[in-house]
Amino acid sequence: MVAMLSVENLQKTYFKGRFDRTPTFSLKADFQIEEPSIVGMMGPNGSGKTTLFELITGSNSPTGGTVRVQGKDIHKIRTDQRDRLAIHYHQSYQVRSFRSLKPNFMLQRSGSDYPQVHLFDEPQFNTQDGYIGFMLDFFRELRNQGRLVFLCVHPNERFHLEILQEICEQFIFVQKGVVTQHSSYEDILNYQPARDYLGDLLEARAA
Amino acid sequence: MALFEAINIHKRFGSRVVLEDISLSFEEGKISGIMGPNGAGKTTCFHCLTGHHRPTRGSILFDGQDITGASPQKIARLGASRSFQLMNLFDDSSVVENIILALPEFRQSYARLNRKVFTHPEFLQKAGLILQQVGLQGLEWQPSQSLSYGNRRALEIGVALAANPRIVFLDEPTSGLGAEATRQLAELIKNLRKKYTIVMIEHDMNFLFELADQISVIHWGQVIAQGAPKELQSNKWVQRSALGEVA
Repeated sequence: MVAMLSVENLQKTYFKGRFDRTPTFSLKADFQIEEPSIVGMMGPNGSGKTTLFELITGSNSPTGGTVRVQGKDIHKIRTDQRDRLAIHYHQSYQVRSFRSLKPNFMLQRSGSDYPQVHLFDEPQFNTQDGYIGFMLDFFRELRNQGRLVFLCVHPNERFHLEILQEICEQFIFVQKGVVTQHSSYEDILNYQPARDYLGDLLEARAA
Repeated sequence: MALFEAINIHKRFGSRVVLEDISLSFEEGKISGIMGPNGAGKTTCFHCLTGHHRPTRGSILFDGQDITGASPQKIARLGASRSFQLMNLFDDSSVVENIILALPEFRQSYARLNRKVFTHPEFLQKAGLILQQVGLQGLEWQPSQSLSYGNRRALEIGVALAANPRIVFLDEPTSGLGAEATRQLAELIKNLRKKYTIVMIEHDMNFLFELADQISVIHWGQVIAQGAPKELQSNKWVQRSALGEVA
C-alpha cells in the first residue's frame, strides 16, 4: 500500500543572502505516515513548523529530498492542483507567496478531488466560545473519511495538552530544524527535548 | 425540498483557499444560522450565495432553479434579499424614502420620475406596511441618519424586505448593538419568521441559539458542524465554554 505521506530526506536551508551562502536556518525531516491519522505537531517558535507545513503542501520548495502524498511528489504537481492533495490552514490571513519554478503544463495533475492531507497551523483554541468541540469533531470526521490531519499547536495552557492527548494518535516534534516522530502521547512525553519544551505545563498537570 | 441550496461550493482567490466544499440548505419558513470565528469565510459564503462572488466550483439552487453565476440583481429579483455587515442606507433621505427606493414598484416606475414618487399614496402605503413589520412606524419622515443604531439596523432589514423577497440573508445583524437593542432585534426577527425564510450570519452565539432552527458552523472555509441549537450545545467543549450555561 502507498503511504499517506512520505517525507524522504527532506531538507530546507535558508541562506543569509543570494551571495553570502552562510546558512541561517536549516530543517531536516525524514518520516512516513502510512495510514489516515491525526498527528499532533509541537515545537518552539521559529523551529520550522510552518516551513515544514509549507514544504508538505508544496507552497515552499525544498533544498533537497521529496514529499509524496499518496505516492505523488507534491512538488511535481500543477500549482493550481496542489491543494487537491494537501491543504494548509494558515494561522493568520497573510499567505507567503512563492514562485513556481516550472510552468504548470510541465507538471502533473493531482488526480484527487478533495485534499488528502489537512494541515492546521495553530488553530485558535480558547474556552470562551464553543468552537473547540466543533473543531475536534471535524478533525475526527476528516480522519474517519480516510484523510491525514496535522494539528500544529503551541501549547500555552493546560487544556491545550488535554486536547492533544484527547485527539492525537501520534506526534511530530520539531526543534531547531530537527524533526522527530513519536508514536503516542506517552512516547513524546518521554522525549527529553519535548519535556523541556512543555516544562511548567507538565508540572501543573501533575499538581 | 429546501428553498435555497448551495452544493459543494469552492472559492479560491488566486492560490488562497477561502471556501472548500461547502454545502448548505435552507428550509422554507425556517431561520438558519451561520456562525464561525473571524475570517472563517462566512461573508464570502454569503457573497457566493447572493451572486456577489462567482464560486470557483459548485452550484447554487434557488427554488430548484440553478442560479450559479447569476448577477446579484438577478438573484435579488428572483426573491433573495440581503443586508450587509456595514450598513448601506441613504443617510440624508428619510426613513420612508429609503424603503420606497427599494420597492420593486419604484424601480418599475423609473421612467416616470417626474411623478412625485415619495408622496405617491400607493408607495407610501406599501412602505408603511414594511415599516410596521420592522417596528419603525411613526418615524417615517425622520432622516435616516438621525435614527438610533438599533433602528438603523431595523431599517436596513426593512430595505431588504421592501424587495418582497422569499428569503432574506442578514450579515451580522447584531454587530454594534447593545443588549437592549439586540433583544429588540431578536423580537423583530422572530416576527419575520412567520413570513420569510431567514438566513443569518451571527457572531453572537446566544442570539443564534435562541432564534435559529438550524445552525451551520463554518471554519476554515468548510462546514465543520451542523445541527439544531440543542444538538450543538450538547457538545462537551461547548458545555465547558461560556455558552454551555445558556438554557
